[in-house]
Amino acid sequence: MFKEKTRRSEASILEGRRTFLKLAGPFAILLACPAYALDLLRIVDPEGKNKDIQKARQALDGIGSIAQSLKGVDYQTERTIGETLALEGFQRYGMPVKDDGLQKYVNLVGNAVARNGIRPDIPYRFVVVKSEIYNAFSCPGGIIFVSSRLIGSMQDEAELACVLSHEVGHVSHKHALQSIRRAKFLEGAGKIGTLNMEGERGENYRAMIGDLQTVLFDKGLDKGMEYEADAAGMDYAYRTGYDPSGLIRVLEMLERNQSTAVQKGSWFSTHPPLPNRLEKCRQLMERYPDASEMATVKDRFASSCKVLKGASLR
Amino acid sequence: MKPKHGIPAVVIGLLLFTALIGSAAEKVWVTSEGASLKADRSSLSATVAELTRGTELVVTSCENRWCKVTTPSGKTGWIYQGRVSDAPPEINETEGEAGLGDMLGGLSESSIEADASDSARSIRGLSPEAAAYAKNTGKPEESQKALDQLLSLTIPANEIEQFLKQGKIGEYAQ
Repeated sequence: MFKEKTRRSEASILEGRRTFLKLAGPFAILLACPAYALDLLRIVDPEGKNKDIQKARQALDGIGSIAQSLKGVDYQTERTIGETLALEGFQRYGMPVKDDGLQKYVNLVGNAVARNGIRPDIPYRFVVVKSEIYNAFSCPGGIIFVSSRLIGSMQDEAELACVLSHEVGHVSHKHALQSIRRAKFLEGAGKIGTLNMEGERGENYRAMIGDLQTVLFDKGLDKGMEYEADAAGMDYAYRTGYDPSGLIRVLEMLERNQSTAVQKGSWFSTHPPLPNRLEKCRQLMERYPDASEMATVKDRFASSCKVLKGASLR
Repeated sequence: MKPKHGIPAVVIGLLLFTALIGSAAEKVWVTSEGASLKADRSSLSATVAELTRGTELVVTSCENRWCKVTTPSGKTGWIYQGRVSDAPPEINETEGEAGLGDMLGGLSESSIEADASDSARSIRGLSPEAAAYAKNTGKPEESQKALDQLLSLTIPANEIEQFLKQGKIGEYAQ
């Protein structure tokens, strides 16, 4: 009897091992790429007759779904979310400054630095909006706002290049999307069925946009993301050929004006404290021993942005 | 059993050998768009080859922010240091990711542009989803027009080059 129990036990263990080995392979592949693992199982057992493979497929489907929701969204989705936020941005911060030359100039500086970033293969658009607030922000997908007050307080093109690079850095690292991914909004959105902007699904989408507005316009992104964008800003500008200390000069200018500036919805309220950012940026300057040889392009900046020096436009 | 153990050992050995050979020369990768290989350390010199993003280059030497490199096809020339990095760039923008059409359902065929993330730097105006959002939330027409105009702006690569040249920036610095 004891021997029989032992034999049954051994048989059970062996069966368990066999099952484990059958499932271990697909799960190991899943870790590398769940989509390939599922495809492989479909090839091995296209009609779903093998129960073990069926079990593995069900498990992979479940885990793959979770992985998919965490993986993110494609560019088209990102851009549409960005466009929607841009519409809110115009409402919140003001309409574009009516000067085609200025808008083109800012887009040339922005696109010049963007192509030296880590995500140069998407279209970037930059817009100067008429606003008294010292502010710049980026919508997912590459639409970047900068206020007339902020540009109007800069001294040269390198400063502008660094600020635009900072925002390109946010887009490149998908910081805004990461923020709402943590809040699980995209996981919910991933389960939406048929499109209907007027129905429940539309409400879910608008709720997601509402939360993104809170992040971008009020609370701000994580401090770590801002420091990462500062580093990216200096790096992309330097790679393009601009003096990376332009970002430090902008932060110093903001520090000088902080006491009298509008705080709500500005770089003061949505970004980490200026002394902390300045300290980190000054440390980063060690990477750029030849920074003083890089371009600042003061004259072109002055002529291109002269319309912003008038008090009426700020 | 020995042959079974022998195969991984040979593979690992080959990988280690390849890694050792590879580390003997410094490699960089083209990380920016519109990079070109120049005959000399100047943007004004002749273009040896246009380099696509992700191209692996072997560095011979670097001087004044320019590096002498060799391409996989054996062409040698100079490239501006800001155009390369010591790590390969991420290139597959949308591989295996879910689209808004999937998320919101039913829109993928009607609105997802195949070339939405290409490097043409032109966008065909406001997307249908954003337009629907604007309509349902009562956004002023002025905002929609402003965004549409912004998205329709084109920034050709040659204009950026000309802009950098005029400003004597980066590889155009003298």
